[in-house]
Amino acid sequence: MYGQTITTRKRITSAVWALVVNTIFWIVIPYYVGVFLAGRVPESALTVPIFVYEFGILFTILEVGAAFFQGRAVSVPLISAVALLTVVYIWDATNGGLLGVETSGITIALSFRLMLYVLVLPSIWAAIRAPLSYMVWRRAMKTGISSPPTASTV
Amino acid sequence: MQVKRKTPMGIWALRGVTVAIALIVLLVVGSVVYSAYEDYSAVKAELAGGSKQAVGAAVLRGSMETVSINITVPNNGLYPLNVTLTCNYPTSNVVCQRTSVDVSPGGEGVLRFRMTVSDVSQFENSGNQVINGTVAISMTPFVGLTVGTDFGGFVKPGGA
Repeated sequence: MYGQTITTRKRITSAVWALVVNTIFWIVIPYYVGVFLAGRVPESALTVPIFVYEFGILFTILEVGAAFFQGRAVSVPLISAVALLTVVYIWDATNGGLLGVETSGITIALSFRLMLYVLVLPSIWAAIRAPLSYMVWRRAMKTGISSPPTASTV
Repeated sequence: MQVKRKTPMGIWALRGVTVAIALIVLLVVGSVVYSAYEDYSAVKAELAGGSKQAVGAAVLRGSMETVSINITVPNNGLYPLNVTLTCNYPTSNVVCQRTSVDVSPGGEGVLRFRMTVSDVSQFENSGNQVINGTVAISMTPFVGLTVGTDFGGFVKPGGA
């Protein structure tokens, strides 16, 4: 929600929390998934450690920024960037929906491009939704559609 | 002082779209996973010797051998299933008949695969007894699985 008063302490707490969660989610887990996939599914970009680190660091920076600046205009491009980066990440990690495994003389190729389009749909929508959401809030605050402020807590 | 604001209609609309997209993704992924599991279980049961087993025969006539495999493909999933069998060999000594079957949900189809080896002794002495076979299973339109394996094992020197 935009236009809310958020204390600096709360912002820092959110940012630290985002840092911990995103480090685990985007660096630690993908690293071990990549180790598991290495040799099994060589086409997946997750098997390349530099891919995991680069994207993991980018995700973490953007998510921490978005958490720190939550409710402010500057968080909008950060949220959209995370969403778009997720699309690129999923696309690269799955080799565009074409994965292959070769084991003891048998080759198995899996293609799921249409399914991939469906899977990245929420991320694409999230990238579009962030600026739209901000614009709607701004408009509502300017035109005074929102109800008059009520003091709930002091 | 914390300020409570009424959520604008536009935000509710955006939330509605988000929920709709989430439901679509959940439905598609759920149905594909369910279908894949059901089809896999059915085919596995079929190959393990269920009610209608996969029937294979290698008939030797002179030096020519014909390998015939009839597989009943059930489709217990929610999406149409297409199964295609092909193979290739560097020389014309081995000829495969590309075969394909479309099975609608709830139905079953029979895949009739034929492979002809013109000269079995030549095939055995050629030094290359690997026939690259491909089994393509496609759960239209979302997922396709292609398995490449050696069909050379189907060729029995004395027929079977």
